[in-house]
Amino acid sequence: MSILRWRGPGFPGSILELERMRKYMENVYGTLASGVNHIRRNYTGVFPLVNLTEDDENLYLSAELPGIDPQSLDLSVKNDTLTLKGSTKVEAEPKEVNYHRRERDIGTFRRSLTLPAKIQTDAVEAKFKNGILNVTLPKAAEARAHQINITT
Amino acid sequence: MTESSSQEINVREKQPLDTGGIESTSGEPRFSPMVDIFETEEGLTVVADMPGVPADGLSVDLKDNVLTILGKVTAEVKGNKFLVQEYEMGDYYRQFSLSELIDQEKITASIKDGVLSVKLPKQAPAQPRKITVTTE
Repeated sequence: MSILRWRGPGFPGSILELERMRKYMENVYGTLASGVNHIRRNYTGVFPLVNLTEDDENLYLSAELPGIDPQSLDLSVKNDTLTLKGSTKVEAEPKEVNYHRRERDIGTFRRSLTLPAKIQTDAVEAKFKNGILNVTLPKAAEARAHQINITT
Repeated sequence: MTESSSQEINVREKQPLDTGGIESTSGEPRFSPMVDIFETEEGLTVVADMPGVPADGLSVDLKDNVLTILGKVTAEVKGNKFLVQEYEMGDYYRQFSLSELIDQEKITASIKDGVLSVKLPKQAPAQPRKITVTTE
């Protein structure tokens, strides 16, 4: 960072310097975040983390839910809001147990997210396999891209 | 049960594998799975979160008291455009050094709903050998 000559309050230079500092800090934090995970965009801080993809016909939502009881999974779509609920499987543990490590989380979760397109709520399909939930959400007719013929 | 059902799961990003500066040639991300390890009289149990790993993608190995867990992910990504990407997919790898003597023959591993469970039975404790001291 360079040193700017102070030319009194209100001089645009000082504001520029603040702006420069702000950008610098943003950069520092951005680098820190990207060092851990470079896909932080759209990060909401609510379990579970999801990926959302699309093609012409469908939206596809996937979430990693290891150890979640498939029976507890509850998925609902109302208008353009999708809500996912569930809880971890409660395992009966042997009595005389000493824990060496306990990193895995237990409990319940609930997440809502707004879908970027209108969907046919009655045609949603969901599959849970190997701890990954895959939801196929067919787009409503009006949300699909229409090929328009250009007449000459 | 009541305690766990009232508790909300915290969101945590997957831990990229710490390779000590050694990079993989494939360039694909690899993750260090979250684990629980508990011990009973009979043995150790390692439980690891490995979503996306089928039973045939799993490899569990114990050599020189080092337990190695490797899970190869097979999950297809549908669609051709990412709208939101909060997590990445990649194989799981983690190693533990064991201080207990484990009966290698009796190790069992199973995976269900993305959770690996490895049971490592302890070796029968060595019988204390009585040494008679003879006096001359």
